[in-house]
Amino acid sequence: MKKIDLHIHTIATSNDSYFDFDLFKLKEYVQKLEIDCIAITNHNVFDLNQYNEICKALDIVVYPGIEIDLNGGHLLLISDKDDLFDFTKKCAIINNLKKTQEDYISVEKFKEIFPSLSRYLLIPHYHKNPILSQQTIKELDTLISSGEVSSIKKFKSCIKDKDSLVPLIFSDSRYFPELKSFSTKQTYIDLEEISFSGIKSCLTDKQKVFLSKDEGNEFFQATDEGLRLSTGLNVILGERSTGKTFTLNKIFSSFDNIKYIRQFSLLQNDEEKFKELLSRRHSSVSEDYLEEFKKVVDDIKNIDKKQNEIDLEKYITSLIKFASESEKADAYSNTNLFSENPFPIKNLSNLKKLIEAAKLLNENTEYKEIINRHINVETLNSLEIDLIKEYLKIEEDNHKKEWLNNLISTIKGELRFRTSSTVPEDADFYNILIDNEKIKKFNKITANLKTEKIIDSKEIRNFRIVATSKEFTSVSQLQKICRRKIVLSTAFQQYDNPYLYLRALKNLDLEETELYKYFVEIDYKTLNKHGFNVSGGERSEFNLLHEINDALKHDMLLIDEPESSFDNIFLKNEVNALLKDISKSIPVIVVTHNNTVGASIKPNYIAYTKREIIENEITYKVYYGYPYDKQLMNNNGETIENFQIMLDCLEAGNEEYNKRRTETYEILKN
Amino acid sequence: MKNITKEELKHMKFLKIENSKGFFFKSREEVNNWVEIDKITKEDLFDLLDKAISSEFEMDEYQESDISHKAHQIVYKSIFEKFSTLISNKSKFKDECDSQYKSALEKYKTIDDKHLPIENTESNIGNQ
Repeated sequence: MKKIDLHIHTIATSNDSYFDFDLFKLKEYVQKLEIDCIAITNHNVFDLNQYNEICKALDIVVYPGIEIDLNGGHLLLISDKDDLFDFTKKCAIINNLKKTQEDYISVEKFKEIFPSLSRYLLIPHYHKNPILSQQTIKELDTLISSGEVSSIKKFKSCIKDKDSLVPLIFSDSRYFPELKSFSTKQTYIDLEEISFSGIKSCLTDKQKVFLSKDEGNEFFQATDEGLRLSTGLNVILGERSTGKTFTLNKIFSSFDNIKYIRQFSLLQNDEEKFKELLSRRHSSVSEDYLEEFKKVVDDIKNIDKKQNEIDLEKYITSLIKFASESEKADAYSNTNLFSENPFPIKNLSNLKKLIEAAKLLNENTEYKEIINRHINVETLNSLEIDLIKEYLKIEEDNHKKEWLNNLISTIKGELRFRTSSTVPEDADFYNILIDNEKIKKFNKITANLKTEKIIDSKEIRNFRIVATSKEFTSVSQLQKICRRKIVLSTAFQQYDNPYLYLRALKNLDLEETELYKYFVEIDYKTLNKHGFNVSGGERSEFNLLHEINDALKHDMLLIDEPESSFDNIFLKNEVNALLKDISKSIPVIVVTHNNTVGASIKPNYIAYTKREIIENEITYKVYYGYPYDKQLMNNNGETIENFQIMLDCLEAGNEEYNKRRTETYEILKN
Repeated sequence: MKNITKEELKHMKFLKIENSKGFFFKSREEVNNWVEIDKITKEDLFDLLDKAISSEFEMDEYQESDISHKAHQIVYKSIFEKFSTLISNKSKFKDECDSQYKSALEKYKTIDDKHLPIENTESNIGNQ
């Protein structure tokens, strides 16, 4: 079995954040992690001199390679060591083509530069960003058999998926002097001796790639200190201050996309804060529910009813005044055009929709048979043609009217400039009516919206989150939405008249796109299995269940002492079952003191942390093994009694355990 | 003049020419009678606007020769033209109104089967 890492960066390119490469760190990494073979794969560049230096410094096999920005994704191209000069030349062409960070090499160009692709090892970013698309992989033909993944979870799912490429997991790391801990992402391949052809052959077979040296894909290396953990459920035990949280933190920094539930982070004693948390988590529920209302508000907020009334008043008073002065009319105001109304322009939007609908009926192939059963092709064609003809006719008419309106308006302007008569104003009756109608509908919609009702209900195990929409009852509720010091009380007096209320809100210094939020309150309640509001403890329980459920979106779950916030019945009935379930999909690591979690959960693997003082120096040791092992072992081969650990960590020692068992429980039992 | 029922209002004349003068029909606050066109106010116009859309709105055609009163001529002509345009757009108005905020009206309907009955949980909320 050989451990390989074919994705290593040693040059800071425009794709990287800046770092100073440290060859000693790379050497330390290779030795500490016991790696048998690496490849140097910098972004779009290969430096032969540096490569030679690295080869000289390390006593393992180092292959030359390059990570190419290809067609929107990344591809590792690794070469054998036989023709370094040719490889360097080809990489230089790639480097010249890559002028900016946004540049990508096309497949054609790539094939032109590397005409004999079969000579190389090609590993695309497969389940890892930026992904090389399936289409590009296809275009590269059958040369690609393996792909890089970003997590253990993805590695395992590729192994199970018969259609997927052979998964590989690599560090993709940079080595610089300040680097504190090393990545533990490497792949084991079933190979006696490292050779380019040997690796190539292993990477075509899922039976030959593994996460661990001896135990297939059921284990992985969790820290660079050698802590090996199960890809299922792990429990880390240990007394206080023995490095349990330190170990979790170390794992957290070594892997990406981890859900880490820290100690006490779930305690929820404050009801208001809990409500806020719920609103945040479920903000999409509110947004989805109010989406249509928002559109209405966005439209209504531009309607100025008062201005419409003023326009109408101006129209009628100026008209009457002008008419009453008709006897005194001068040569200018006496002309017909002086008081002429403009031609109304016809709105074509409905006709446009009709044409599109006719076109859709005409062009649809999926349901052609049904459509033609009722309307034959000729009828559809002539319908579409007639509608288009009508459209063109009205459009032409509109153009003429617009031209005339311009002319009339110019003449009116000239006449009005010279006359001493009152000038009749215009008003758009149609739009005034449409606006009135809109306001009526808006008031109706808002009244309906304010009627209290349940808009969403979700179950999470024994809890139910219920979202209710209801009207605001006090101005302080509005203040929570606003989050700024704005006086809302005057506006709120109009709350019962939605249109006036909206006008009042519009006059305040509020975000216009947020006005729709001030009409109805979306209240979230979490109910327990009996349908009652949750208590403080239940709030924390609910939080934990929610967080654990959320972990499935991640690649690993770490929990630090869940018992610090919960009682044993809940831990046993709910948490243990849930953790077990989730550990089937992602590695789960639980740190605990509690016997309900530690012992009853039946983990796949346990680790025990211990602090020892040797010659006045504190050393932290980690022992690990199966729960049924008599002894746990550390990396140095030292062992420790498993049974004793269980009693010490979970039962407060042998004496206490016996006392509790024989005295307390037996007495209670009797 | 007797009170006019809503039914009668739905189908009647609102602008007429009589004795060489223009009139509009005023039906507001228990008043139902014909008023000379030059006495029309903003409120009257609003009422007429509503009726133009909601009922069969009839008007006497404007002919310059039918009205001798110059001021009536100007006001009647302008209002007649405005209402003619509006009435000719009645079906468009109806279509536009029908489609206005349709999805919002549908979504927030109060009696709606898609929402869960509120009683089920409401009785429990806050009982603890």
